Formats: sequence, structure tokens, C-alpha cells
Amino acid sequence: MTQAFLEVRGLRKSFGEVEVLHGVDLDLPAGTVLALLGENGAGKSTLVRILAGDHRASAGTISVDGGSVHFADVAAARRLGIRLIHQEINVAPTLTAAENVILGSWPSRGGIVNKREALREAKRLLDDLGVDIPLEARASSLRLGERQILEIARALTGSARCLIFDEPTSALSDAESELLFKLIRSLRDRGLSIIYITHRLDEVFKVADTVCVLRDGQVAMNTAVAATNRADVVQAMVGHDVTHRDRTIALGTTPARPPVFELRGASSGIDFVDLDLGVSPGEVLVLYGKVGSGIAEAAEVLFGARRLDRGALILEGKPVRFKHPADAIAAGVGCLPGDRQSQAMFRPRSVAENLAAPVWRAIARAGLFVSPTSEAALYYKWHDALHIRSERKPEQLIWTLSGGNQQKVVLARWLQRQSKILVLVEPTRGVDVGARQEIYRVIRSAAQDGRAVVVATSDYEDAMELADRAIVMVRGRVVRELSGIELTTQELTRAAGRAAGEEAVA
Amino acid sequence: MTAAAIARPRRFAIPSWGALLLVLAAEMTMFGITSPYFFSWDNFVNIVTTVSVAGIIASAVTLLMVGGQLDLSVGSGVAATSFVLVSLSGTNMALAIAAALVVGLLIGLLNGLIVTVLRVNALIATLGTLALLRGLVLVFGHSNYLFITGFDWATYRPFLNVPLSVWVFLAAAVIAHLVMQRTVFGRQTYTLGSNPVAARLVGISSRRTVIGAFLLSGLCMAVAGLVLSSQLASVSGGTGTGLEISVITAVILGGTRLSGGQGTIPGTAIGLFVVAVMGNGLTLLNIDAPWQQVATGVLLILAVATDQWRESRDAA
Repeated sequence: MTQAFLEVRGLRKSFGEVEVLHGVDLDLPAGTVLALLGENGAGKSTLVRILAGDHRASAGTISVDGGSVHFADVAAARRLGIRLIHQEINVAPTLTAAENVILGSWPSRGGIVNKREALREAKRLLDDLGVDIPLEARASSLRLGERQILEIARALTGSARCLIFDEPTSALSDAESELLFKLIRSLRDRGLSIIYITHRLDEVFKVADTVCVLRDGQVAMNTAVAATNRADVVQAMVGHDVTHRDRTIALGTTPARPPVFELRGASSGIDFVDLDLGVSPGEVLVLYGKVGSGIAEAAEVLFGARRLDRGALILEGKPVRFKHPADAIAAGVGCLPGDRQSQAMFRPRSVAENLAAPVWRAIARAGLFVSPTSEAALYYKWHDALHIRSERKPEQLIWTLSGGNQQKVVLARWLQRQSKILVLVEPTRGVDVGARQEIYRVIRSAAQDGRAVVVATSDYEDAMELADRAIVMVRGRVVRELSGIELTTQELTRAAGRAAGEEAVA
Repeated sequence: MTAAAIARPRRFAIPSWGALLLVLAAEMTMFGITSPYFFSWDNFVNIVTTVSVAGIIASAVTLLMVGGQLDLSVGSGVAATSFVLVSLSGTNMALAIAAALVVGLLIGLLNGLIVTVLRVNALIATLGTLALLRGLVLVFGHSNYLFITGFDWATYRPFLNVPLSVWVFLAAAVIAHLVMQRTVFGRQTYTLGSNPVAARLVGISSRRTVIGAFLLSGLCMAVAGLVLSSQLASVSGGTGTGLEISVITAVILGGTRLSGGQGTIPGTAIGLFVVAVMGNGLTLLNIDAPWQQVATGVLLILAVATDQWRESRDAA
């Protein structure tokens, strides 16, 4: 046990001009669980992808059993026993449980698959994990947790020595998560090394032996779990410099106006349950939570892209039903979806068209004919108002703009349409640092103009910069509501890292 | 707001027409050298006349493909509308024309409903109606030639010695161009083709847009049917066979993305000429018609390959 299974020294990684890992050191002895924590963009994913052979390091060394190794690709890392289990569950739904386990390592002779042996191997792997999954069941008929176990079993084929889990519980129910923790402990006891990426503090103290916190591409904390506590971990994640930073918006000026847009007792699948919230004109309400907390799904309901199983959506005191986003738009809701590339942008089209898409009918002559001049006029107006950095040509293609400027164009759609309510999901995702502040400014001024703004975000900086009030969600439930001086980075991170149902401790 | 503030410079993009115009010029030079007759007004009129039927349809199919859809049923649709026209022409010509137009619109509506309501992918849906309509024409036409008299309007040459069929094509192309560039419907078609998810989230109804595009395609089938019956003065079970291949080849060659969101009528027009000039030149060189089919096949594959290449270059 003196010799660590995996040793990482001075690991650096750059993408183009930007260095995202600035010299990371890490030791992973056999038979231990290391929890890897950090805010979004801290470098966790990059680090584990390098360890799994998916990315190549720019500098630094990786040693396995004391010998320096070089991973050319994922297969090379696999041969040394390192396996990454991705956050998204990748099973082939039409294949059986056994086939999914054995996928990629079919026992065969001369190209002919030995099915009986394959079944035996799959059964052995699943039995070792102490789970009871019918081998012949189609993966599509299994629950999410069971499908994940198939992936774990698949990762254990051959000579696995180190498993890396990337936020494995984000899609699991509490009971399924408990089962997973049991499984991880038993793997550890069999001598495997585990790296466990998570956002949830309670999980760290449940399964991990050591904890490593990354912040801005550097190791901010690396210690035994027994030697630390939650507050210290949060402190390490957030960093000293931002802990007591003053919020730039005026506190306590929220107008005491009745809410215009509310959810009452709203539930949608397992994504969120019994959610109550309301937003008033002139207010920015932040829904804060990590992936899988239900914030994005709640936002989808607000803009008509998802329906409620139970509960009601109330607009200006009256229950409403949105069957299609068009209904929400007609009712005065504007939306910024979470993934700009796939949900908001018309990539091959011009900036002017991207901006004017929701208002074409309104600006068209006789409701039919769009003149490029009126479209261009809109473009110039918002180009100047939002400081969109571009060639100032309406026909410039949107994809040639930077992420932040694309985001401003997409945001301008709804300002132009004078939507009374804005629902913004991850408004600064993939946005450069400079544009971030401008987007904050635009959102705040939209609220000052009397709009009601809901921001769903997993980025604490968004919450700190924007929120008049923040609702923190964990696994589909509200765990904390923060406003005024209570709304600090530490409180946010602490609340979001807490397990659902755990009592609020001030 | 200086140049340095612009994050990504515009990448050098080969304009899709630019490359195509080169191909066209190369073709014309080659045929111009090998055949003295090639560069004459009569031959030019010939070329435009041969593309008029495909061109009328390609005008609507460009819009349809920009919206991320596809229509393989156009050839069968032309046969079906022609058949209706010729069958009813004995009684009342005005009625026969109206019936052909209505049938065209119904074909478009059927395609649109299959794609939107039954959610069958457009490729398969229109492959189905291709077979279905062709089958119906063969069943009711008993595989015979049916003739139509007094319907040779499309061959009149009122102006510049150019036949009316060409003027109809020109009108269809101009109207399609204006619809695509200047109407809300056209704009929405582009957005739908470039990102259906985002289109839904800005309140665009994909159902209405897709059905509208298929209706236009159906209408153009009927108009093309009127032109073709007039040119041939007859209809048979084989009328319009393979038309979908020349139409789609021209549209893709003209720079319309298979995945939707990009494409223009001027591009399609150039695509049509690349195909037509090739056919015309090969005819002048006394090369058999089957070889022209081979050449069209090669062009189609090249067109799709360049489309894929452009797509992968622009990804990221």
C-alpha cells in the first residue's frame, strides 16, 4: 500500500491558447475511493479524461505502479485497467442485459462468438457485484439504476484496476444511489481504486476515503475525508477570494408586488416534485441547483416545452396551460434554453434572422412579407444596445460570433418581443468572461424595466450576480430559499451539496 | 468594438455557386470545342426547354429541402396530374386543368400529413407515395398511351423564340425565390430546416410549415404536369419516371444542404444547367441516352459528397 497505483505529477492541459489544468498532482493508492470535487469549469472532466486516455496532457507525468506511462488513446488506458464510466448512461436498449455487459469483449474463437461462455461471464460479473438482474431482459426494460450497473459490470470486464465515475448519481433515485454506494465500497474492498466525481457533499462523506478539490485547474485541497469537514470543502471549492465578495446588486430592494407567474404543487415525473414558486415583475428569481436537480426541467415547464403531471402553472392569477412553446410565447414568456447550439441558434443563418425569428409576423407587411430593411433595423438597434461584438452587418452568419455574442443575439429576441416574463436557463454557459458581465447587465436591466425574470443555473456566480431571491433545489425538491444577506456563495454551495430531505442547518 | 474584439474571423468559405459556375464553364468550354452547334441561340433555347419541367418542380423542392424535408414522389405526381388532365380533357378543358391542380395539391397534402401527423420520415413517406401514385396511374391507364389534342400551348414561342414552358419555369423560379427570401413562411422554413428544436422554442409551428412546403411541391407537380402533357400531347405509365433524380441532383448541386437550412433558387438554377448542359452536350456528341443517366448518377453522388464535405468542414 505504500506504492500508489496511480501517480500524477505536474499535469497540465491546454486547449488552444487556454490552459485549463495548471500542474495537478494526485496520488491514488489501490483500494481507496477518491472524491473529486470542484465547481463547473474547475477542470475535473479534463483531468479524468486525460486519465482515461481520451485527452492527451500538454505536460506532466502519469505513472501506474511506479512506471511512467503514456496513453495514446482510450484503449491504452483500458489495457492498464483504467475505465471511465460516463455521466450519461450508455447502454444499447435493444440488447439484453448480458449482451450489454459483454459488449466489446465477446468471448470468441476464430470470429465465432461463444454465446454460452458470454452468458457465463456476464453472470459472473453481475454476481460479483451482488446484484440480481435478469440476464435475458432487454436493457430498455430495466430501470436507470440497473442500466448503470450494467455499465459498471462492463467496465469490470478484463482486468479493471481503477474505475472513474463521473457524477454517477445525477440521474438516480435515492434508493438506487444507496445501492451504488454499497457497490463502490465492495469494489474498493476488492482492491480497486475509485475516482468519484460529484457535486454532492453528503456523498463525499458517505463513500470517499480521500477528497481532492480542484479550483481553476489547480488542486485546492487534497486530504483524508476523516481530517476535514463540509465547511472546509466548500471553502476550498469556492475559494477565499469570492467567499465574502459583496454582491453588486442592491439588496433588499425587491418590490413587494404580487407574483405574475407561479408554479403551485407542480410535479413532473421524477424530475421535480411538489414545486411552489412565484416571480414578481421587476424581480430576478434564481433557481439554483446541480445537474439533475430539476431546475432545467422546471424552467421547461415555464416556457411550454414540458407539461406538468400534477399542479398548476398560474399567470397573472389565472391557471394557464401551455401545449406548445408558441402558447407560452403568445402569453408573453420569452425563453433562453440551456444549450444554445442545439436549442436556440439557427447556425447557418444570419445574425439578423436569428434575432428576428420570433417577431417576423409582427414586423411583416400584411403579416406575410418580411423586408430585409426592417429586419436590419432591428439588428442595428440591438447590436448597439447590447454591445454585440460583430462586424455590424446584419447578414453576418451567427456562428462566426463568439459564444457570448451569440447569447446576446438570442437574448435580444425576447427583449425585442417585449416579453413580460423571461425564463433563462444557464444564461452564461459557454460564454467568455467579458461577455458574462454584459449579459448580467442586460438581464438586470430587463428586470428593472419591470419584467419578471427566472434564471435556472448551476453556476453560483450567476446566482450571486443576478438573484434578488434564490431557490436552491436538490433532486427535484426545494431545500432552501435565500435572499438578502443570507444569499452568499457558501450558503448556496452548502445547500446545493446537501441531500434532498436533509434538514436545513443555518 | 475593434476588429480584435471579434472573436472568430469569418473562415474562408468557397461559395457553393462559385465552384459550380466553374464546372458549368468547364462543361461549356468542352462542348463548345467539340461541337460547333453548341454555342448557338437555338441550342441555348433547347437546353432551357429541356430543364423547364424539372425546373418548375425544383423550385418547390428547393424550398422543401431547405426545410429539412425531401420529396421523391414528384415524378409519379407529374404522371398522376397529367393523367387526370388528359382523362378529363375530352369533356371540359377548364375543368380538367382545375382537377389536375387540385389533385396536385391533394398529393402535397397527403405527403405533408404523412410526414407531420404519422411522423414518417419524408424520405420513406414520399418513396411510398412515389410507388402508390405510379401504381394508380398504371392501374387506371391500363398501361396505354392516352392522347390529348388542342393542348400545345407550352410549345408556343411568343417572345425571343422561347417557348411558353420556359416562361412558366421562370415564373415559378421567381415566385419561389420571393417566397423563400421575403415571406414569413419562407423565413420560417429556413429556421425549421436549420434547427427544428430552436424553431419550436421561438414559436414556429413545424406542422404548418412542413405541410405548406409539401402543398407547394404538389402544386408545382401539377403545373409541371400541365407543361409536360402539352409538350408530349400524351400521357403514359412511364411519364415523369426518374424526374425526382434530376430534380434532387440539381437542387443538391445548387448548394442546398441535405440537412436543411441552406439553399437558394439561383443555386438550384445553376444546378439545373449543369445537369442539362451535360445532357445536351452528350447528345450533340451522339452519346446514347443511357450514358446520360450514368452521368447523372455520378453527378448526384458527387453533389452529395461535396455537401457532406461542406457540412463536416463547417461543423465544430
